[in-house]
Amino acid sequence: MDNIALLLHGFAVVLTAQHLMLMVAGVMLGILVGVLPGLGAPNGVSLLLPLTFAMDPVAAIILLTSMYWGALFGGSTTSILFNIPGEPSSVATTFDGYPMAKSGQATQALTLAFLSAATGALIGVILITLLSSYIARFALRFGSPEYFAVYFLAFASFVGLSGASPFKTIVSLGLGLAFATVGMDTISGALRLTYGFNVLVGGVSFLVAVIGLFGIGELLVTMEEGLRFDGVKARIRPRAVLEAARTLPRYWLALARSSAIGCWMGITPGGPTAASFMSYGIARRFSSRRDRFGKGEPEGIVSPETADHAAGTSAMLPMLALGVPGSATSAVLLGGLMIWGLNPGPTLFTERPDFVWGLIASMYLGNIVAVTLVLCTVPMFAAILRVPFAIIGPLIVVVCFIGAYTVANATFDLWLAAAFGVAGWLFKKTDYPIAPLVLAMVLGDKAEDAFRQSMIMSRGTISIFWANPLVATLCAIALTLLAWPLLGAGWQRVRTARRGPAASADLLEE
Amino acid sequence: MPASPPKHVSRLAAEIVAALLTLALGIAIAAGARGDGVGWGTGGPQPGTFPFWVGVIVAAASLCNLALAFRRVDRHARVLDAVATRRLAAFGVPLLLFVAAAVTLGFYVATILYLAAVMRVQGKYPLWMALAVSFGTAAFFYVVLEVWFKVPLLKGPLEAMLGIH
Repeated sequence: MDNIALLLHGFAVVLTAQHLMLMVAGVMLGILVGVLPGLGAPNGVSLLLPLTFAMDPVAAIILLTSMYWGALFGGSTTSILFNIPGEPSSVATTFDGYPMAKSGQATQALTLAFLSAATGALIGVILITLLSSYIARFALRFGSPEYFAVYFLAFASFVGLSGASPFKTIVSLGLGLAFATVGMDTISGALRLTYGFNVLVGGVSFLVAVIGLFGIGELLVTMEEGLRFDGVKARIRPRAVLEAARTLPRYWLALARSSAIGCWMGITPGGPTAASFMSYGIARRFSSRRDRFGKGEPEGIVSPETADHAAGTSAMLPMLALGVPGSATSAVLLGGLMIWGLNPGPTLFTERPDFVWGLIASMYLGNIVAVTLVLCTVPMFAAILRVPFAIIGPLIVVVCFIGAYTVANATFDLWLAAAFGVAGWLFKKTDYPIAPLVLAMVLGDKAEDAFRQSMIMSRGTISIFWANPLVATLCAIALTLLAWPLLGAGWQRVRTARRGPAASADLLEE
Repeated sequence: MPASPPKHVSRLAAEIVAALLTLALGIAIAAGARGDGVGWGTGGPQPGTFPFWVGVIVAAASLCNLALAFRRVDRHARVLDAVATRRLAAFGVPLLLFVAAAVTLGFYVATILYLAAVMRVQGKYPLWMALAVSFGTAAFFYVVLEVWFKVPLLKGPLEAMLGIH
């Protein structure tokens, strides 16, 4: 019950006029970022982060997390009205959202999407409220080997669960880890991987990488594929909103199932994108109206939206309690915590309870603010997309590069962001996952420190990673996940051999 | 575009380029880290140990990607055709020019030139509108960043001449 008391204290911290104004501003900026192609949640938070360097951490995290919620909602808006996902995690929403909007039910589709998203987020926050302090208390027992095992587990679950090619995921993770080591070594003071270039002494900022990979890279893909906005007229009628809201309880099963999938994928670093696709696939498979999916079936909106937001929210749980983020955006937020001088992980709960519980309380409020605002402002934001891309595109470019510059006031970062942009385009075209690279860049230093301290503790023998049951279990799970794609491929081959090619075609279809 | 089918970049070529690029990066990382010492120093692993093995893993995984590209990628799949290349260039070239301008002339001048040029040349907007949008944007960023958040942006010779710092 002490969690409830702490949560109430958190509400007391959050409920000031300044914080509520930041929340509204964050949500509005978030919706804008979510609506505009090329500016997603991770990128938007990276752009805003340099402006919060001097802010109080509580105010800063409220602004940035509110932006995150807003971006998640904004992404769904364009999926439904324009058939263009503003965020990768709202791709699955286009399958039924756009057909439903096209058949004249835009208000209903949007309302269902927002309300089920809010339900998913609410369940995610409740999970955080109930579990976070227990996990943090448990994690207080962790030493360096356990921490390294946890980071290893986070990396391995990307390889095992992300669905992308495992070797491509490994390359992406490895590059992120390597970029994190560039510059001054915190333990020995040596300069590493600078190749004699002075501009590399300060290191490669993960913020510049995110802005390049997600922002510029995404824009290049969007422009190259030829963007067309064939929008459905967005006029929100209050009566239709209420009618749609009344139908929501009908989808209780989809809501519950998708929340569970979302929470699981958010806590393990599967991320919101994988969660929404998985939830959509399962909903279609088990629905009695399977043939209606893809033609405007409401359950096809409810399922991915709930899972998307449940995953997006619960990704904050491992970030807060363990210091291991569950999504690209929470990785950026984690980097922000370190920049503000906070030490993410279990000690944060004892050292800065006002920050932790203020943040959790702000998640409840932020989502309510976000649903309300997004319903009121959809027509306005939809109008932005009617501005021709000859104006919007270059404006987004300018914003991205200004963001890259404000990270460290370094002109070299501008070229770096451009290079990351080109790399991001190539990675997108060849299906390399980008989120692992960002996660590895943020966690790289901590993972390496944990590894080196473990090695010092054990005097160089690697057996310290199975020296006690806890660390051995963590490593065993990580190794299983790492081997998962191989095991899966073997199993599929056995099945195909036994049942003929029809079985593999069946697998591909899902 | 049925008239120009041979002009395209195949998926296989893109996969090979990506794999060779990451292979080169992996080798560069491992080679760079070797110089910092790979092994046991006084009281702990030397600073190059961790990045060295990361580089080795990246290089090894890149070789796997290269091998898989030849085995798995559909030979007829494309990533870029002539139309897409033109669209990419129309967006990418001004973008790089903007970065070059920002580095030499400062952000405000570069923003005005970039927005006005793209709107006028590619968007075919009237000159007054292009100028209004570009100057308005620069003014907006000046107020928000320099005045409001006190975050200075990169300035060039023009600002120095006018005495704005």
